[in-house]
Amino acid sequence: MLDPLIYLFRRVFRNIRQSPVLCSAAVGTVAVALTILAFFSLIVINVQSLAAHWSEEIQIVAYLEREPSPARLKQWRASIEEMPEVAAVLYVDQQEALRRFKSRLGSDSDLLEGFGAEILPASLEISLREQYRTRESAETVVGRLRHNPELAEFNYGQDWLERFEAFLELLRFGAVVLGIFLLFAALFIVANTIKLTLYARRDELEIMALVGATSWFIKIPFLLEGALQGALGALLALIGALALFQLFLRQGLVALLSVSGGDQVVFLVWQQQLMLVCTGILLGLVGSVLSLRKFVRI
Amino acid sequence: MIQLYNVCKTYQKDAASALHNLNLKIAKGDFVYITGPSGAGKSTLLKLLYCAEKPNRGQILVNGKNITRMGSSHVPQLRRHTGIVFQDFKLLESRTLFENVAFPLEVQGKKRFEISNKVYQTLKHVGLHGKLHKYPLQLSGGEQQRVAIARALVVDPLILLADEPTGNLDLEVTLEIFELFKKANARGTTVLLATHDQELIRRFPRRAIALENGQLVYDHTP
Repeated sequence: MLDPLIYLFRRVFRNIRQSPVLCSAAVGTVAVALTILAFFSLIVINVQSLAAHWSEEIQIVAYLEREPSPARLKQWRASIEEMPEVAAVLYVDQQEALRRFKSRLGSDSDLLEGFGAEILPASLEISLREQYRTRESAETVVGRLRHNPELAEFNYGQDWLERFEAFLELLRFGAVVLGIFLLFAALFIVANTIKLTLYARRDELEIMALVGATSWFIKIPFLLEGALQGALGALLALIGALALFQLFLRQGLVALLSVSGGDQVVFLVWQQQLMLVCTGILLGLVGSVLSLRKFVRI
Repeated sequence: MIQLYNVCKTYQKDAASALHNLNLKIAKGDFVYITGPSGAGKSTLLKLLYCAEKPNRGQILVNGKNITRMGSSHVPQLRRHTGIVFQDFKLLESRTLFENVAFPLEVQGKKRFEISNKVYQTLKHVGLHGKLHKYPLQLSGGEQQRVAIARALVVDPLILLADEPTGNLDLEVTLEIFELFKKANARGTTVLLATHDQELIRRFPRRAIALENGQLVYDHTP
């Protein structure tokens, strides 16, 4: 059992030794393609996870025409809290609104000198239960609240969320298209590189077939070689992506998404890393299969 | 050992057939020359016998098996009992003599000590056991052809097919090479030797079949 296995690996390494340049070209191609792929995946994954994080903070602010009587307020709160989506309702009166505004203005709060609390509306801050913190749920709740004419205006970041979701969708779509394109380009180049190595060894393939080698006996070392090149390329891509992430991407994303500290910007988790290596192996294997079909005919 | 019934082979539609209605029987242990001018169909006949080509019509039986109906997965098994020698030797230049001759045994999955032993014996048989670790390009044409014959004989083939094996060699070397075929035949291997070297046929008379335009025109056993 061990003997054929040793023989098989000897053949694989002999093949690699015989054409180191072509072999490096195949590894390099996989590495470059997968590095770019990993780079874009990192952007999409991080932007997406931060978006998910932001949407967790979604809450509805309903602005009131005028401050309600305590009895009215109590009644409203009770009816809103009854809704299944709603976790809590906080009433912010005009005084509190002014105080908040002032504290937000910080050192510029003296701009509000001379203005009374009446310039700001009172509001109800409605936070949603965790499973309902989506735009759709927020819209449902707002839809019901609109029946109350006293509630003048609603804000749940709808415009911004819509635009951000569209951007995210575009980013995701772009990454998928680019990913497919890159994978096909890599596959094409890997297949052609392997075809070149096979062409360089066509005499050997012919003689193998003539002395009675089965088709699998001929193919398996080349398939293994392809898989090995793919795996090696993927490992290099991981290292490349990690380097790019540490050097540029982390700072870039922190600045772009205005995340403090950058702890929320993460590298690929081990499952994603494994997936990248498997993609590399698959690229090498499929590349080999495509070229072998042409060369090994018994 | 080999039987051909109404075998036709055409390479391209509308082209002249390479073989036309060929009927032939070769007994086990025979030595047969296949002769005829270039393009007569000699190489095609050999290719059909080692399944590099399939006939368009007719049946071919080798060692009792109908190889025209054989699936491609059975071809390697047939070739393991068939030694093939070419005019251009077809040796692997990047491998030593030993590795070249060991190749068919490696393909068959033989054990390493078995391979070493057999390869050494076969190279000794062709008189090249002193050059085990040389590379083909370090040898003369005659020596390279002897390596190719050693590679064909190392598996103890039932049939030895040789396509113009002495075409590039001078008379002296041709005679040496021919001796190797004779020895193989003496050990029971059926030998088919395609050649247009009439001198060889005159010196060593054996059954000779002549092809012309893909048809059998002459079959003579001295």
